[in-house]
Amino acid sequence: MMTEAKATIVTENDWEPRIVAYCCNWCSYAGADLAGTSRIQYPPNARILRVNCTGRIKPEFILAALDMGADGVLVSGCHPGDCHYTSGNLKARARWALMEQVIEQAGVNPKRVRLQWASASEAQIFADGVRALVEQVKELGPIVREWK
Amino acid sequence: MSEVETPRIGVFVCHCGHNIAGVVDVDKVAEVAEDMPYVVFSTHEMFMCADSGQELIRQKIKEHNLNRVVVASCSPRMHEPTFRRVVEEADLNRYLFEQVNLREHVSWCHMRQPVEATEKAIDLVRMSVARAAKLEALPIKKVEVTPRTLVVGSGIAGLTAALDIADRGFEVVIVEKDKVLGGAVAKWTHLFPSDQIGEQVIEPLIDRIMRHEKIEVVRDSKVVNFEGYIGNFEVTIQNNPTGAERTYKVGTVIVATGFEPFRPIGYYGYGESPDVVTLAELQEMPRQYELFKPSDGKPVKKIAFIGCVGSREPGTKGHEHCSRHCCSAVAKAASDLRQRCDEVLVLYQDIRTYGRGHEEMHRLARGRNVIYSKFPPDQKPQVTIRKGKVRLNWFDVLSEDHLQFEPDLLVLASAMVPPSDIEETANLFSLTRSADGFFNPEHIKLAPLTTHTAGIMIAGAAQAAKNAHESAIDASGAAAKAVGLMARGKVEIESTVAQVIPELCSTCYTCVSACPYGAISIDKDAKPQAARVTEAKCHGCGTCAGGCPSSAIVMLHSTDDQILAMVEAYLCTPQEVTGGNA
Amino acid sequence: MTQSMDYVETPKKYVSDNALVIGGGVAGMQAALDIANQGYKVYLVEKTPSIGGRMAAIDKTFPTLDCSACILTPKLSEVARHPNIELLTYSEVEKATGHEGNFTIKIRRKARYVHEDKCSGCGECAQVCPVEVPAEFEEKIGFRKAIYLPFPQATPAVYTIDMDTCINCKRCAKTCTRGAIDYEMKDKVVQLNVGAIVVATGYKLFDVSVYPRLGYGRYQNVINAMEYERLINAAGPTHGHLIRISDGKTPKDIGFIQCVGARDVNKGVPYCSRVCCMYGVKNAVMAREHDPEAKVTIYYADIRAFGKGFEEFYEMAKTRFGVNFVKGRVGEVVEDSETKDLIIEVEDINTAQLEEVRHDLLVICPGLQPPDGLETIAKVLKLEQSEDGYLDIEDTFSAPVTTTIPGVFTCGCADGPKDIPDSVTAGSAAAMRATIILSKAGAK
Ligand SMILES: Cc1cc2nc3c(=O)[nH]c(=O)nc-3n(C[C@H](O)[C@H](O)[C@H](O)COP(=O)(O)OP(=O)(O)OC[C@H]3O[C@@H](n4cnc5c(N)ncnc54)[C@H](O)[C@@H]3O)c2cc1C
Ligand SMILES: Cc1cc2nc3c(=O)[nH]c(=O)nc-3n(C[C@H](O)[C@H](O)[C@H](O)COP(=O)(O)OP(=O)(O)OC[C@H]3O[C@@H](n4cnc5c(N)ncnc54)[C@H](O)[C@@H]3O)c2cc1C
Ligand code: SF4
Ligand code: SF4
Ligand code: SF4
Ligand code: FES
Repeated sequence: MMTEAKATIVTENDWEPRIVAYCCNWCSYAGADLAGTSRIQYPPNARILRVNCTGRIKPEFILAALDMGADGVLVSGCHPGDCHYTSGNLKARARWALMEQVIEQAGVNPKRVRLQWASASEAQIFADGVRALVEQVKELGPIVREWK
Repeated sequence: MSEVETPRIGVFVCHCGHNIAGVVDVDKVAEVAEDMPYVVFSTHEMFMCADSGQELIRQKIKEHNLNRVVVASCSPRMHEPTFRRVVEEADLNRYLFEQVNLREHVSWCHMRQPVEATEKAIDLVRMSVARAAKLEALPIKKVEVTPRTLVVGSGIAGLTAALDIADRGFEVVIVEKDKVLGGAVAKWTHLFPSDQIGEQVIEPLIDRIMRHEKIEVVRDSKVVNFEGYIGNFEVTIQNNPTGAERTYKVGTVIVATGFEPFRPIGYYGYGESPDVVTLAELQEMPRQYELFKPSDGKPVKKIAFIGCVGSREPGTKGHEHCSRHCCSAVAKAASDLRQRCDEVLVLYQDIRTYGRGHEEMHRLARGRNVIYSKFPPDQKPQVTIRKGKVRLNWFDVLSEDHLQFEPDLLVLASAMVPPSDIEETANLFSLTRSADGFFNPEHIKLAPLTTHTAGIMIAGAAQAAKNAHESAIDASGAAAKAVGLMARGKVEIESTVAQVIPELCSTCYTCVSACPYGAISIDKDAKPQAARVTEAKCHGCGTCAGGCPSSAIVMLHSTDDQILAMVEAYLCTPQEVTGGNA
Repeated sequence: MTQSMDYVETPKKYVSDNALVIGGGVAGMQAALDIANQGYKVYLVEKTPSIGGRMAAIDKTFPTLDCSACILTPKLSEVARHPNIELLTYSEVEKATGHEGNFTIKIRRKARYVHEDKCSGCGECAQVCPVEVPAEFEEKIGFRKAIYLPFPQATPAVYTIDMDTCINCKRCAKTCTRGAIDYEMKDKVVQLNVGAIVVATGYKLFDVSVYPRLGYGRYQNVINAMEYERLINAAGPTHGHLIRISDGKTPKDIGFIQCVGARDVNKGVPYCSRVCCMYGVKNAVMAREHDPEAKVTIYYADIRAFGKGFEEFYEMAKTRFGVNFVKGRVGEVVEDSETKDLIIEVEDINTAQLEEVRHDLLVICPGLQPPDGLETIAKVLKLEQSEDGYLDIEDTFSAPVTTTIPGVFTCGCADGPKDIPDSVTAGSAAAMRATIILSKAGAK
C-alpha cells in the first residue's frame, strides 16, 4: 500500500517541506489567526486543517498524511486543562505516545511529527512551533518510505 | 443522510481590499480553482462580506445551480456565520458552505513571500474544494430557551446584571462564593470619580436584589457542576459550609467573577513591614478621619504611592497588562489624603487617567500639592526597611536626580489579577482565557461580552481589568445579550454532533470513557448492543471518533472522509513546477 | 434631579414599545440590534447618507489590527436586514415631546433626490456625473461625484445627490434605468411614537489648526490621523499607498504627535480622549508594516494603553515593530521650503534635551470632541451637557447610560470618548435599559 512519495519529482535544491497541521478550532486555530492579525511572519510550508478538538484527531489522520507524502505533521491544541471540551486534548496526548511508536516502527522518524499546545493568545508560540517543525524536517530531508 | 447528488461547487476568492490581494495573486487562485474537481464557477471579488459580495454569492448559486459554496477570504472564526446565512438565503443548507482562510493564515503571515503565499492559497482552496465535494446537508435544530439566567458573582457587575434582567421580567439565580454580596467595590473608601464610598453605591443594589421577586440569591456557595447547552443548562450549586446541593435549570449564564488584587509579596518591601500596604488594603482600613500607621498606631503624616505594581511588567513575576483602574484610584486616594497628611508622593511610569472626570481628578491632586514623580520603567524605585522605617530611593525622570523619601506609609497600587479559582470557573463553563488571564470574549472589538460558548456571557473585571463604572456598563450589556436570547424563546444550535453506526460498533467502551460530557452510553437493549449518543449532551468535540478503533463513529460535518479528502488534495495533486507568478 | 419633558396628554398607562436610536455609528447600531433582537421595533436615525459612523473610515483597529471595514460590514448588513429595524438615513430629529414610555418625535428626512426603493446601487449615475468634489468620507483627499455613495459598503446602498454641487445637467437621470432619480424630491417630516430613546451621536475630531505652531493646514505634509487612516486604506484615495501630499513620494521618516487637543485646559479640552494613544500606536505600527524601512517616531505625554490587550500591543509596537517612542513635547514645526520636509523642535522629557528633528511626514493625532449638532439634540430632548459638551449621565455607577431625562439613554462617544469595544458595550447596555421600559408596554 505504501508507495514512493507521489510528488517528489522536485530536485533536492528547491525542495520545501510539506507540512499538514491539524489545529483545534478553539485555541490553536485562533492562535494562528492571531499570528496573522499580529503580522507575525512564519514559514509558509504548513497547511492548516481545522478540527473541533485535538481529541478528534485519529492516529490514522497522521499516518495517512505521512503515507501520502507529507514531510511533517503538526498537531496543535489547547494547553492541557484549557481544552474547550475540558479534556479532549488529554486523550490526544495519551494517544500520542502510542502513535509515535507506531510511526517509528513504520520506519518514519518521529521527529517528523510534533504535538504542541498553543492557546488563542499564543500567536508567537504557534508560529514558532511551525518554524521549529519546518526546520527540523528540513534537516531530515524529504520523507522516504522504508516500509512496505 | 442525503441522497447522492453531483457536487456543483462555486469558488469565491476575496481580495479583502488590499489585505489579501496585496500579497496573494487572487486572479490566479480563482483561475486555478476553475479546474478543480466539481468546480463549475470561480471568481474573485473586492469584498465578499459586503452586501455586493453576498449578493454575488446568492446570484451565482441560482445562476449556476451551485450546491456547494467555497469562499476563500478571512478566518471562518469571523465570517462563517455571515456566509452560512448568505447561502441559506439562496436556499442552500448552511453546512454546504466551506470557508478558506487566506488572510490570517496566508497573506498576513507571509507578507514578503507572495509566490509561496499564492501557492499556499491554491493548496488551501484545493483542499476546501475537496472537502466541499463531500459535505452533506444537516438539519437545522432549534431549542427552547429556559427563561432564567444564572449570574455568577455578586460584585457590581453581577448585581447590576441581575437587576436589569429581573426588571425586564426574567428570573435570575445569583450565586456568590463569599458570605456577603457586593464584591470589591463594597470595600472601597475612596471611590473615584464620585465622592461616595463603595458601600453607598452597593447597598442600594443589594437592597433591591433582596427584595426583587424574580431574583434568588444563593450566598456562600459555588457552582460545582454545569451541563447542557444554550437555552438548556443544568447547574448544580453547592453550599460551602453545609455541602448541600441544589440544581437549577437556566437558559443563559453571565459570568461576573471579577478579580483579585495582586499581593505583591517580595516587591517594594511588601510583607517586610506592616507599613507597606496595597491600595486595596489602604481602602479597607478603618474609616476614620485620621490615618494611623499599622506598625505603631501613630498618625500618618507622610504617605507615598507607587503605581504599576505587578502591572505592565512583562517577563517578570508581574503581569503584562495595565490594570486600568489604579492610576485613577491613586489620584483619588492621594488627593483625598492630602487633606489629612502633610506630604503625599506618587511615583508612576505613565499616568493613565483616561476616563470621564479622571484627568480632572489627577489635576485636582496636583492642585492640592500631591507630588508626582516619574520613574523610568527599567529602573524601579528601591525600598529599604531599616529599624522599621520605610525608605524609598528612586530616579526622577524630570529632574534627572536620584531622590529619597521616608514615608510613614507606603501604598502599592497593585495589579488586578484573575481570582485564584478562575481556572475552575473556566473549565466549568468551557471558557478560554487571554494572555492577561481573564476570560476571552467572542471578539475583542465587536463582541466583547459574549463568549465562544453559546449562551454564556462575561461582564466586569472577569473580562479584563476595569473600573466599577465600566463593569456596570458591561453588566447591562451582558444582560441585554441574555435577554435577547430569552425573549426570542428559541435559538438554533449546531447540528455537528457524533453519530454511531451500530453495525460497526464493537462495544469496546472507548468512546464511553473518552467523552468529556458523558454523552455516550452503550445501549444494552439494542440487538446487537451498540454505543449510542445522546445528541443533546454531545458538544461535537469528536474525541469519541478520534479514539474509536472500529471507525464506528461519524462526526457530522467533520467526517473522516472529509478530513482525509483535504489531506489527499494537498499531498496527492501533482505540484505545478512553476509556482505562483505574483 | 431629573425633570420630565413637556407633558403631553395621553392616557397615563400608555407605553409605546418602539424605540428610537439617534446616530448610526457602531454604538448606535449595536443598541438598535440589541433592542430589535428582543422583538421591539427600532427606528435608527442617521444624519449622513449611510450608517457605519467613524469605524467605516478607519483602516485597521487596535489592538488586533483587524481590518475595520471587514469586521464592520457584517454588522452593517445585519442592521439593514433586521426585520425590526427601520433605517432612517439622511435624517435628523427636529422635535420631541413626551416622557419616558411615550415620546412623540418629529424626524426630517432630507431629500436625497434618489428614491431609496428604486435605487439598486449600481453606480451608473455616478459614472456619468461630470461634477467632482472632495469626498467627505475620504477626508477630502479623494473625490466623489455630485451623485455619490459615501463608501463602497455604504448602507443602504443608495446614491444621494448633493444639491449644493449638482449642476443640474440631468445626465444621471438619463442613465438610470430604474428611474430612481427625482430632482423634485422634497424633505419629508415624519412623526414617530416611541417609548425610549438612545442617543449615539459619536464625536468629531478636534480641529488641530487651532494650534498654529504645528503647521496643520499650512504645510501639506502635516496631516491628521483620520487623513492618515484614509491614506493607508486599500479602498482609500491612494489605494493604500502612503504618500506625501506635496510630492506623492513615499515617506521614509514619519513622526506622530500625540495628545493634540486633549488634556489641554486652555483649549477647552481638559479631558483625555482615550483613543488617541492607541490609534497613534496602531498607525505607527501600520507605517512600519507598509514600509519596514521607514523610521517611525511617536511623541507622547503618557501612553495610555489601558484596555484589554493594549499594553501588550504597545509592547509589541516597541519591540517587534521597532517604533521609536519619545516622551516629549513638540514645539514649533517649520517646513523646509525646498524639500517640504518638516523640522520640529522637541523637548525630550526623559533626557531633558531640546532637539531639532527632521521628518518627511507628520501625523497629528487629535483628541475627540462632541459632534456638531449635539447641542441641538440636547436642546430638543432637554438633556444636560457637561462643560466640555458631552451628554451628562445620571449616575456613574447605577445609571451609567441614562441621561438626565428618564427614558433617554446614551452610548458610544456621545457621553465621552470611547474606543470601539467600549462603545459597543455601552450600546448593548443602553439597549438593556431601554427595553426595561419597552417591556412595560405589554407581554413580549
Ligand atoms: C484598590 C482598588 C481600588 C479601586 N477603586 C475603584 C474606584 O475608586 N472606582 C472604580 O470605579 N473602580 C475601582 N476599582 C475597580 C473596581 O473594584 C472593579 O472594577 C469592580 O470591583 C469590578 O466589579 P466586578 O463585579 O466585575 O468584580 P468584583 O468586584 O471582583 O466581584 C466579583 C464577585 O464575584 C465573586 N466570585 C468570584 N468567583 C466566584 C465563583 N467562582 N463563584 C461565585 N462567586 C464568585 C467574588 O467573591 C466577588 O463577590 C478599584 C479596584 C482596586 C483593586
Ligand atoms: C483616527 C482614529 C482612529 C481610531 N482607531 C480606532 C481603533 O483602531 N480601535 C478602536 O477601538 N477605536 C478607534 N477609534 C475610535 C472609534 O472611532 C470610536 O470608538 C467609534 O467610532 C465610536 O463609535 P460611535 O458610534 O460612538 O460614534 P461614531 O462612529 O462617530 O458614529 C456616530 C454616528 O452618529 C451620526 N450622528 C451624529 N450626530 C447625529 C445627529 N444629530 N443625528 C443623527 N445622526 C447623527 C454620525 O453621522 C455617525 O454616523 C479611532 C478614532 C479615530 C479618530
Ligand atoms: S492604570 Fe496606571 S497604575 Fe494601573 S497598571 Fe495601568 S498605568 Fe499602571
Ligand atoms: S463528539 Fe463524542 S466525545 Fe465529543 S461530546 Fe459528542 S459524543 Fe462526546
Ligand atoms: S470576507 Fe473576509 S476577507 Fe473578504 S472582505 Fe470580508 S472580511 Fe475581508
Ligand atoms: S478544543 Fe482545543 S484541544 Fe480540545
